[in-house]
Amino acid sequence: MFGQQLASGLATGSLYALTAIAVVVVFRNTRTINIAQGDFSMIAAFIALLLLKAGFGYGAALALTVVASILVGVIVERLVMRPIADSDWLTLFTATLGIYYIMHGLAGWIWGRDTKAFPVAFESKPIEIAGIVVSEGHLINMGWAAAIGAVLFAFFRWTKQGVAMRAVTDDPETARLMGIPVRFIVLLTWGMAGFLGAFAGVLLAPIVYVSPQMMDEVLIKGYVAAVFGGLYSIPGAVIGALMIGVAENLAGGYLGSHYKTATAFAMIVVMLALRPQGLFGIQKRRDI
Amino acid sequence: MSNIPHLHCENVVVRFGGVVACKNVSLRVETGKVVGLIGPNGAGKTTLFNVLSRFQTQTEGHVYVDGKTVDRCRPDEMIGRGMARTFQNINLFQELSTQDNILIGAHRLMGDPVSSMYSLPWARQRQAGQIKRALEIADLLGLADELDVTVRHLPYGIQKRVEIARALAGEPRLILLDEPVAGCNDEETAELREVVRTVNRDLGITVLMVEHDMSMVMSVCDYIFVVNFGANLAEGTPAQIRANPEVVKAYLGEEAEA
Amino acid sequence: MAGARNPTARASAHIVDREAVAHLKQRFAAHNAWGVIALFAVLALLPFLPGFKPWMAGQISLVMVYIVAAQGVSILTGYTGLVTVGHGGFMAIGAYASALMVKHWQVDILVAIIGGAIMAGGVGVLLGLVFLRLAGPFLAIGTLGFAFFVGTIVTNVPLFEGREGISLPKNKALGLELGDVGFYFLALTTFAAVTLFVHSLVRSSVGRALTALRDAEKAAQSCGVNRLFYRMVAFTVSATITGAAGALSGLSVRYVSAEVFADIWYSVDILVACVVGGSAMLMGPIVGGAFVALLPFVLEKLADFSFILKGVVLITVLMFAPAGVCDVLARPVRAWRRRQLERAGAGSGAGSQAGAKVEPLKRQEG
Repeated sequence: MFGQQLASGLATGSLYALTAIAVVVVFRNTRTINIAQGDFSMIAAFIALLLLKAGFGYGAALALTVVASILVGVIVERLVMRPIADSDWLTLFTATLGIYYIMHGLAGWIWGRDTKAFPVAFESKPIEIAGIVVSEGHLINMGWAAAIGAVLFAFFRWTKQGVAMRAVTDDPETARLMGIPVRFIVLLTWGMAGFLGAFAGVLLAPIVYVSPQMMDEVLIKGYVAAVFGGLYSIPGAVIGALMIGVAENLAGGYLGSHYKTATAFAMIVVMLALRPQGLFGIQKRRDI
Repeated sequence: MSNIPHLHCENVVVRFGGVVACKNVSLRVETGKVVGLIGPNGAGKTTLFNVLSRFQTQTEGHVYVDGKTVDRCRPDEMIGRGMARTFQNINLFQELSTQDNILIGAHRLMGDPVSSMYSLPWARQRQAGQIKRALEIADLLGLADELDVTVRHLPYGIQKRVEIARALAGEPRLILLDEPVAGCNDEETAELREVVRTVNRDLGITVLMVEHDMSMVMSVCDYIFVVNFGANLAEGTPAQIRANPEVVKAYLGEEAEA
Repeated sequence: MAGARNPTARASAHIVDREAVAHLKQRFAAHNAWGVIALFAVLALLPFLPGFKPWMAGQISLVMVYIVAAQGVSILTGYTGLVTVGHGGFMAIGAYASALMVKHWQVDILVAIIGGAIMAGGVGVLLGLVFLRLAGPFLAIGTLGFAFFVGTIVTNVPLFEGREGISLPKNKALGLELGDVGFYFLALTTFAAVTLFVHSLVRSSVGRALTALRDAEKAAQSCGVNRLFYRMVAFTVSATITGAAGALSGLSVRYVSAEVFADIWYSVDILVACVVGGSAMLMGPIVGGAFVALLPFVLEKLADFSFILKGVVLITVLMFAPAGVCDVLARPVRAWRRRQLERAGAGSGAGSQAGAKVEPLKRQEG
C-alpha cells in the first residue's frame, strides 16, 4: 500500500515538476512570477482534446499541441511581456495575472466551463516492479517527465542557446555586453514555458480532467515546489515537486483525500519558516 | 568628564566569503568631536561604517555606543541609542516633500502607532510639535524654501542637506556622515562644511565622517583615522596625518589638494 | 567671513509667503474632503430617490464590499509595497466567522462583523510572522498558498458546510431587523468608517513609516522604523479590514458557501481592483473596486467575456498607467497644485527647474 502511494506520488510529482521547472526558468530569466503558467497547460489540454475529438492520433495530437503551446508562449511574450519588460516585478506579475484572466475567459467562452474527460492514451495496466504494483500510466508519466528532463539537461549543457540562456540567468548585463541576444533568449524562455506547459497539461488531463480551472491547484503546487528550489534551482524544484507528490498522496491515503491540497501549503509554511532561501536554491540577491 | 568614547569599536573583522573587508579595525570617537575616517578606495571604510550603524554584522569584534555594546542591535534601534546616519548615494524618499522626509527622521519621537493611526488628539498634537521642529531644522540648514518641494526635483547639493536634516530630526547625539560631499562642486562642499560645523558646534552633536575630499576632512575634523586594505594605518590630528609618510604613500596617486 | 549662525541662509532672493503656502495647502485638503463627502452624500441619498428598488441596495452593498476589501489590500500593496494574492482567504475567514457566530450564537450582526474582522486580523498576525520576513515574490506565493489552503479547509471541514453553504436568518442589528436597504446603510457606514481610517492612517506617522519602508528601506531603518513590526502592522490592519468586508459579503446575501471561496478569484479580483484603480490613493480602491464588482453585473450573460475584459483592462492599465487609473486622472490636478504652490513661493527656483545650479550663497551681514 505504501509502495503504491509512493509510486503514485512520484508519478504525479514528476508532472508537477514540469510546471515547477517552467516557473523557475521564467522567473530566473525575467524576474517574472508567471501565474498563467498553469493556463498554458490548460489551453494545451483543450487543444489536445479538440484534436483527439477531430480524429487525430495521440502522437500527432501531442505534437501539434506542443507546437501550438510554444506559439502561445511566444505570443504572450511578444504582445504583453515585451512592452513592459523593464518594469518592476510586481507589474510583470500582474501582467501575467491579466493573461490568467484572459485565458480563463477564452477557455470558458470557447469550450464551456464544465469539466470534460480526457481519453487516456494507454490503459492503466498494473505492472509489478520489485514487488510493488504500479499502474502503467504512472510509469509512462514518469517516463515522459524524465525524457523532458533529459532534453532540458542536454539543451542547457550542449546547445548554444542553452548556454546563452544560462549566461542570461547569471548576469544579464554582462551577457548583453558579450553580444548575447537577450531579447531572443527571453523569447526562448517563454517558448519553453509553453513547451513545458503543453506536456504538463496533456499528461495531467486524464487525472485532473479538462476544465478552465483544471490547473489552478497544480499551479500552486508547482510554485511551492519552485520555492523549494529557491526559485532558482531546477533540481531543487524537481525534488520539491516529487516531495509534494509523495507527501500529498501519503496524506491523502492516511488522513483522507480532503487533506491532499492542504499538504502543499503546510509544507511551504514549514519550509519558509525554517529555511527561507529554499532547500536547494541559492537565492540570488537580485533587486526583487 | 567621562573617559568613555561616544562611539568606539574594537578589533572588528568582517569577512564575506573569501574576502576580508575589515581586519582588526579599531577606532574611537570622543564625545563632541568631529572625527574623520579616510583611506584609499576599497579600504573597507564603507563596510566599517555599515558595521558601526549595524547595517552589517561583523564577523569578530565589538561596537560600543557610550561604552555599551550594540552588537545585538538592529539598524532601526540605533537612533534610539542616539546615533543617526546618512547615506553615500542619497537615500531620500524621492516622492515625498522635504518636510515629509524630515518628519520621517523624527519617527521615533512620534509615539505609539495606534494613537497615530487613529489620529487621536494627543497624537495630532505630537505631530504638530514635530512639524514645528522640522521647520526649525529646515531653517537651520537653509532648507526653508524647499519644504514643500518633492525631493526628486531638488539639486544634488540641497538633497545632501535634506539627508542631514532628516538625520537631525531624530534628536541624535551622534551622526555618522557617509561621504557628505561626494559628487558636490566647490560651492556645495563649502555649504556642507558650514553645515557640519553648525551641527557640531551649535548643536553639540558628535560627528564621524567618511570622506574622500581632503579639504573637507582637514578643515573640519578634530581627529582622523586612516584605514588601508581593511586595517588601521594611522590616526592623529589633521596636522599629524598630513605629515605622516605612510598615509602619503597609501594615497600615492591620490594626492590631495588640501 | 562673518560668524554666521545660520550658515546657509539666503538673503531672500524671492519672497516666501509661508502664510499663503499654508493657506493653499488647507484649501487643497478641503477640495479632497469635499470630493469624498460628496460621494458619501450621494450614496446616502440614493435610496430615497424615486425608482430605487431594494435589489439595487443589495447590489450596491456588494460593490461596497469589494471596495472595502480593496481598501484593505491597498494598505498593504499601495502604501507598504508588499504584494498579496491571498486576501480572499481573509475574506473567507471574516465571512465564515461571522456566519457561524450568527448561526450558532444568534449574535447581533454588528458583533458578528467585528468578530469576523478580529478573527481575520488574528490569522493575519500568525501568517505575517511566517511570511513577512521574506522577499516580495516569496510573500506573494505564500499568500497565494494561504488562499488555497483556506479554500480547501472551508470546502472539506464539515463545520463550514462546504458547497452546501450556511444559510443565515434575517439580519439583526441592535435588536432591529435589517432588510436590504437597512443593510445598505450598515455597509455604507462601514465603507465610510474604513475610508476615514485609511485617510487617518496615511497621514499619520504610521503611514509615513510604511511608505518610507516601501521607497527606501534602509533609509527608513536609519530613521528608526522597525521593518518587521511595521510590515506586521500593515498586514494585520489590511487583514482586519478585508475580513470585515468578507463578513459583510456573507451577511449581505445571508449565505456563505465554499463555492465562492474555494478558488482564488476573490483574492485576485481585489488585487486587480487595486492595480487598476491605483493602490496608493484614497480614490484608487474605490474606482477599482467598483470596476471589478460591476463588470460581471454589467456583462451579465457574458460572464466569460468579463474575464477577458478584466484581463485586457488590467494589461492595458499596466502598460499605460502602471500606478492606476486614478493616478493618471490626478496628474493634471497635482500639476495645477504644484504651480499654485510655486507661485506662492514654495521652492521656486529650485523646484521649477530640475537640475538648477545652486544659487550663490549670500551670507548674513554682520
